[in-house]
Amino acid sequence: MKIFWSFSRQAFYNMVMYRFDFWVRRIVLLFVMYGVYCLWNILYTQNAKELEVNLNQIITYGILGVALQASLITAMGPQRYIASQIRMGSIDTDLVKPIDFHLHMLARNFGETAFRFITATIPTLIIGFIFLGFELPCDLFNGFAFAFSIALGYLIQFSLNFILGILAIVSVDIKNISWAYISLVSFFSGDMIPLWLFPTALRSIAEIMPFKCIFYIPISIYIGNFSRIMVIKEVLFQLIWCIVLLLLGRIFWICAYSRIKIQGG
Amino acid sequence: MICVEHLTKEYKRFVHKNGAFSSFRNLFNREFEIVKAVDDISFDINNGEMVGFIGPNGAGKSTSIKMLTGILTPTYGKVVIDSINPHKERKLNAKQIGVVFGQKTQLWWDLPVIESLRLLRDIYKVSDIRFKNNMLLFNDMLELYKFQDTPVRQLSLGQRMRADLAAALLHDPKVLFLDEPTIGLDVITKERLRQFIKEINANNNVTVLLTTHDMSDIEKLCSRMIIINYGRIVYDGSVEQIRMQYGKSRILCIEFEDNVPNIKIPYCTLLKSEGKKLWIEFDKNEISSSKIITQMTENYQITDLTIQEPEIEEIVRSIFQDINTNPNGGM
Repeated sequence: MKIFWSFSRQAFYNMVMYRFDFWVRRIVLLFVMYGVYCLWNILYTQNAKELEVNLNQIITYGILGVALQASLITAMGPQRYIASQIRMGSIDTDLVKPIDFHLHMLARNFGETAFRFITATIPTLIIGFIFLGFELPCDLFNGFAFAFSIALGYLIQFSLNFILGILAIVSVDIKNISWAYISLVSFFSGDMIPLWLFPTALRSIAEIMPFKCIFYIPISIYIGNFSRIMVIKEVLFQLIWCIVLLLLGRIFWICAYSRIKIQGG
Repeated sequence: MICVEHLTKEYKRFVHKNGAFSSFRNLFNREFEIVKAVDDISFDINNGEMVGFIGPNGAGKSTSIKMLTGILTPTYGKVVIDSINPHKERKLNAKQIGVVFGQKTQLWWDLPVIESLRLLRDIYKVSDIRFKNNMLLFNDMLELYKFQDTPVRQLSLGQRMRADLAAALLHDPKVLFLDEPTIGLDVITKERLRQFIKEINANNNVTVLLTTHDMSDIEKLCSRMIIINYGRIVYDGSVEQIRMQYGKSRILCIEFEDNVPNIKIPYCTLLKSEGKKLWIEFDKNEISSSKIITQMTENYQITDLTIQEPEIEEIVRSIFQDINTNPNGGM
């Protein structure tokens, strides 16, 4: 498991390399957080009842959504690396290394995500806590359930991205699919708008899709909007999707790999 | 160390249709032809041997290397590398081989060289002592320290190739595959790389299989060469042997004191004459050079004489051409 740590170190070096990008992203993040804070404040004063939760909860939801989105970035998943390796014809160099490709992609993505989590998500949350009324989880159970739930959310997002990356092996170009996919995820994952504010028809679709596992479930657990029974039910829902998607990613990879092995990369 | 038996790789290639609505019809095209990239090749390479694998572009060299490294599955035939089957046990095989693709890098584009190497250390589970010792060696032989903190994308091609070679040897592989390692490099860098490969081969007894288009790579490094064309082996033997077998012809260049006289010598063909110089070609088994020279010096005033042995490149070219005109002939 040392390679997970090695890839995290690598992400740190990338930051040193792209220092300007690093700081711009962190500063923009603060502006976005402030924007979301203002937006929910206004919406709350206009129509508190419709939001179904109190002001502190909805602001915590908004801030946590912004902060988590800064580390769990859909567009920066393994599909980007896979697509560029395929385009440059360098996938061979990954296949001559004594490491499982699926695991390699997870380690690489985990390293980058962990780095962003420490340098973007946590500082943003601290600033949100001091200045904007971001709240801590209401009790220990919710805190732990959130940690477990966001870990599952991460694995689900990774798996979806990995499957998209496998499509890049088959179809070489995924730019257009990528764009549609990113929009789909950001809409249905509930990082900006909680699912309970969706119109009924849309909500019933969003409820069964895996995307809500990424942000909506963990954040709702964090702000204490689920009863304990609900928490267990929703985490179970995540767990099932997580296993299904990891397996699906595995199967897709095995198919793509045997295609590479037979047809050439 | 490397044992290859009846190795064959076939590709399906879809037949591209022309004519009306061709682009639309090609979408649903299921018609294909089978192309044999590698056709029934067999060879054995002993531990510590350095073998040159040569052939024109598209001859099947890279496909063969990919099968030996476990990236591609053979259609038929068998590959065994130190009792491991590469495509069945890819990861196990990957630990004992090192690979350099001259046209691609296995280093991470944005990372400084040293970070890529550290990452590889963790992937290959190289111990700290071995890592340290190997880094000393690389610094000494490849001058890695000069650019180890530079990101890979900013390296010159020569530096990148040196870094790639270091990356391939970090885990002390038993077998090293080099796919066109000297492509695009300047003379000095080429020489340094060759020296390094030679050293590694001699000191660590690493088996080396390298493909190249540069015949001086072969002459300087390899005792044995395998020539492949249209997916088949057309020559497998030592470099001296190919000289003896195919390099019987000699070229004699004579410089006369006066203008070139009109002469005819038995068993010789006149190649060209230019000013006072004359080039003639002869087969050394048919007539000895001393015989020609005595004949010439007896009859004419000669200022200079040189005999040229054919270059290995010339020999290989003639072998390629032979097969191109007669692809099914073999040798």
